[in-house]
Amino acid sequence: MGITLSGVGKKFDRWIFRSLNLSVADGESVVIIGPSGQGKSVLLKMIAGLLPCDEGQIQVPAHHLGMLFQKNALFDSLTVRENLTFPLRERLGIRGEKAEALSKEMLSAVGLSGSENLYPDEISGGMQKRLGIARALIVDPEILIFDEPTAGLDPITSKKIADLIRSLKAKKKLTSVTVTNDVHRAYQLGDRIFLLSQGRLLGGLSPEQTQKTEIPEIRQFILGLKQGPLTEATVESGGPE
Amino acid sequence: MKVVSAILNDVGGLALFVKDVFQTGFRTEKNVKPILDQIVDVTTRSFTTVAFAGVFVGAILVLQFSLILAKYDAQTFLGGLNTSAVVREVGPLIISFLLAGKVGAFTAAELGTMRVTEQIDAIECLGTNPIQYLILPRFIGIVASSLILLMMSLMISILGSMMVASVTYGIYPEQFLGSIPRFVSFGTLAAGMFKSAVYGIIVAGVACYKGYTASGGARGVGRAVTQAAILTNLYIVIANFLTGQFLDVLSALSKGNAG
Repeated sequence: MGITLSGVGKKFDRWIFRSLNLSVADGESVVIIGPSGQGKSVLLKMIAGLLPCDEGQIQVPAHHLGMLFQKNALFDSLTVRENLTFPLRERLGIRGEKAEALSKEMLSAVGLSGSENLYPDEISGGMQKRLGIARALIVDPEILIFDEPTAGLDPITSKKIADLIRSLKAKKKLTSVTVTNDVHRAYQLGDRIFLLSQGRLLGGLSPEQTQKTEIPEIRQFILGLKQGPLTEATVESGGPE
Repeated sequence: MKVVSAILNDVGGLALFVKDVFQTGFRTEKNVKPILDQIVDVTTRSFTTVAFAGVFVGAILVLQFSLILAKYDAQTFLGGLNTSAVVREVGPLIISFLLAGKVGAFTAAELGTMRVTEQIDAIECLGTNPIQYLILPRFIGIVASSLILLMMSLMISILGSMMVASVTYGIYPEQFLGSIPRFVSFGTLAAGMFKSAVYGIIVAGVACYKGYTASGGARGVGRAVTQAAILTNLYIVIANFLTGQFLDVLSALSKGNAG
């Protein structure tokens, strides 16, 4: 199931972005990179249906959508196991032994076996990310949305999480949109990579093409150059993420 | 002008939120267990505080009323006057203030934290209505508990004031209890319950609304809790005046009809 954005805009005190167009094909992985404060997370929340569009429209044909939040958004009053049985019960109506078995299977798939009865604040940051991924996947989604899936993790854990996402996604042939500031993870996770800056989506190139592109904004961002079209004001504007 | 606009904006937002909660309550299938859990939770958490308040409020009223009644040698009316004041006015007010401080602040903080840590977004993303899942049980729990706590505190208050009246002024319990039916009718009880329900809706509505709409991290949660506490007490005082007027008009009308 694909995703289509047609002339999408979002306004808070000012327009964060306007007239964005994007098509994500069935089974495709799109990654959006870009400086902080440009509205990448806002765009993801709009795709997830958590924020309304102020102009244009977003078509997401499937209601089965899983989302990994930037700070995981785990239910802190529920145990690791309950964090998975909750969506099974609420979304799919699966309860009891079947829910227990499915959650156990999913925890094993993300390497969290043995942590079933711990609470989210009793496990490490990497494990919390894994649990967030497990919660997004357990409802058997057709579309996955990842908001900074490796933020705050050390490089080794970060790679492990990206590998996990890739393998789980490939297994289920899922469509995904990921937002990240980590260029290496963008190369690892994306079929196409876009840069969101100053209200525009630039690029849409493969990881190989992105590394060689001459588009000045993308080049400046991936090389971390101080000089370029992404002015300091843009990079550090700190608008809503 | 800005302040007035902010207040109107806040009241409007609260009214729309409460309307949403009521609509969700009527539209969706009832989640009986979480609602019952909340009622038990709120009642048990607040019972000790309310019980203590009930005893001392009763005792204070005994001391105040007996001073006046003694002037007219009418201390036999102490039980009735005391109970009537607790049921109609002091009980609902004190309970709602206590609930606002204890359960209201807790609810605003809990929901606010869930909002700023995106847990409410996650619930919505899973296809669950957060109003139905999170707000409705808390809302009904607080309103129902305020009614239960009123009845409990009333009984405790009568016991407390009866003891104080007996020990301090030598009024027999039979005298004390005997005067209650002269002052407390079904209408008095209904008025107390009505006020408690209105104040309960205010406590629940403001706490849930402020928590649910919190933003801006820990600072935002702190702001939501503070606003919930201040606004709840302010709205309750205003509602006290309005419900008092409303009940007076209702009483006058019913007397007019009876006449």
